[in-house]
Amino acid sequence: MTVEGTVLPIPRANIDTDQIIPAHYLTRIDAEGMGEHLFEGMPDGAHLLALHPGASIVVAGENFGCGSSREHAAWALLGRGFHAVIAPSFARIFLENAYNNGVVPVVLPQRIVDELMGARALSIDVEGETLRADGGEPIRFELDPLRKQFVLGGGVLKYLASKIPGVRAWEAAR
Amino acid sequence: MKRSLFDKLWDAHVVEELPGGNALVFMDLVVAHEITTPPGAIAIEKEFGDELYAGERIVAMIDHVAPAKDAATAIQAQTVRVWAKRHGIRFHDIGDNGICHVLVPERGYVTPGMTVCCGDSHTCTLGAFGAFALGIGTTAQAGAMLAGCLILQRPKVMRVEVTGTLPADATAKDLTLSVIATIGFRGGTGYVLEYAGSAIRALSMEQRMTLCNMAIEAGATTGLVAADATTAAYLAATPAAPTGWTPLQADDDAEYAAHVTIDASAIRPVVSWGTNPGENAPIDGVVPFDAAAESLAYMDLQPGQALRSIAIDQAFIGSCTNSRIGDLRAAAAVLRGQRVSVPTIVTPGSQLVRRQAEREGLHDIFQDAGALWTHSSCGPCLGMSMGVIAAGTRCVSSSNRNFPGRMGDGGRVHLAAPAVVAASAILGRIASPSEIEAPVSAEMALA
Repeated sequence: MTVEGTVLPIPRANIDTDQIIPAHYLTRIDAEGMGEHLFEGMPDGAHLLALHPGASIVVAGENFGCGSSREHAAWALLGRGFHAVIAPSFARIFLENAYNNGVVPVVLPQRIVDELMGARALSIDVEGETLRADGGEPIRFELDPLRKQFVLGGGVLKYLASKIPGVRAWEAAR
Repeated sequence: MKRSLFDKLWDAHVVEELPGGNALVFMDLVVAHEITTPPGAIAIEKEFGDELYAGERIVAMIDHVAPAKDAATAIQAQTVRVWAKRHGIRFHDIGDNGICHVLVPERGYVTPGMTVCCGDSHTCTLGAFGAFALGIGTTAQAGAMLAGCLILQRPKVMRVEVTGTLPADATAKDLTLSVIATIGFRGGTGYVLEYAGSAIRALSMEQRMTLCNMAIEAGATTGLVAADATTAAYLAATPAAPTGWTPLQADDDAEYAAHVTIDASAIRPVVSWGTNPGENAPIDGVVPFDAAAESLAYMDLQPGQALRSIAIDQAFIGSCTNSRIGDLRAAAAVLRGQRVSVPTIVTPGSQLVRRQAEREGLHDIFQDAGALWTHSSCGPCLGMSMGVIAAGTRCVSSSNRNFPGRMGDGGRVHLAAPAVVAASAILGRIASPSEIEAPVSAEMALA
């Protein structure tokens, strides 16, 4: 699996999920319709999206996705065509939501993230855990080996469903 | 090996070690509400034959938007309502409902030693009971409802020891905001905050909930307070009055990945000035001179500006942080005999809290002061309903997040304890309760 595309740079830390998708859009019983409201809660969100039309990879500062647990943040990114986020760190709940929805969360040091903010096109090799910026040298990153499998196929719920007999046995012996 | 409280909770719930340092962790209780549960419940219905691991391990309620505000939120509520009935899940409908982090503990549904998850980041509130309680996304919650487990990386444990005694005018809200300022807005990421020390033992259960509620605002997986006699007394007085639980304690000399010690006697009443909860300062102080420019620009503040000079447009007392009966009593003590000068909303955390407040006459104090007394809801805390603020306006709030746009697009939020919100509502600016003069009673005026 390869994620290719241009960059939406957000050169700030602490982009919280209220900025990614404001709560007044959390009124559906499915994951649809979130993309058109992506980054509406960010003061310069519309401006940044307009500056980078067609971008499909977010590059942002530390602690991306902090705050609310709303998985709608991952759905909004996907709905707008973003399939990866690159940042020095992610908030725990967003990180899991990203994996569970196939939004590839790439953790890299701040120095490299800063460089990637100015990149034109990125190519992310998910299996190989490398990315290239504008055809340059490959940059290594690490994904959670289990959750990576959820991104590549199968999904977390099917995996968990396969665990049910074992969980029941564990509970019975508890 | 000497183990922390968290180690014991974790070890007792690991079903299986998984690749990559992950573990399959059993969940004793899944809390479900109308905003984040429906897509997961529907996924289980469509893909897995509507089979839940154990309906009796789920409790559901309407909490965020209660009652529904429009057709879309009505569909959300109805989805949870029908789903809960179909599966025989304990369900608290409007009228009998509350914010999940208020309702679940007050009913006696959470006991020490449990694991709890919910599609809501403030689930860490329940760590106040010595339970491992954490917020997760919709899919992870669906997994817990389908297979009884979460997949988790084992967090590190930070012991946060709070020594001494809190000053009379400082609250658990001031303590939790001070902890966030001390370790940083993302300083708890990857950690569980295990609270200990004399100041923690002295806190009531409501205060411990306020403390643990904001662990997520430091990025932490959860907060934890070991159960003790205070916990036992609280649980015995709940409707469920649960018995049979065993309190867990950290071993003496348990090893921790990090240690922080905080002197409770140095905690001052604080108010946030910026756009994350870590950006707070003592209410008697000023906006810091080294404040982040972007935060100041959004909040329309200047470095060095006195916090008590900041004019407000609205006041809100409520949210899963500060909407319990003790919070309402604290606000009422300030508002008694006073008049608010800005729109003020008081929203109890549950219908049980509301009814208790009304038995005590607190609703009259609020309404005599000109405040709006509502039924229970998450309300404007997250900008969904019942008091969303306008762009460019400023609200002082007893809630937990001051992110840009949190309470309404373009709105500005200052976080504070309920008594500070009440004082600010009266004076129309950020104010300390000590600034409010006691009203002259009718008898005294006649004499």
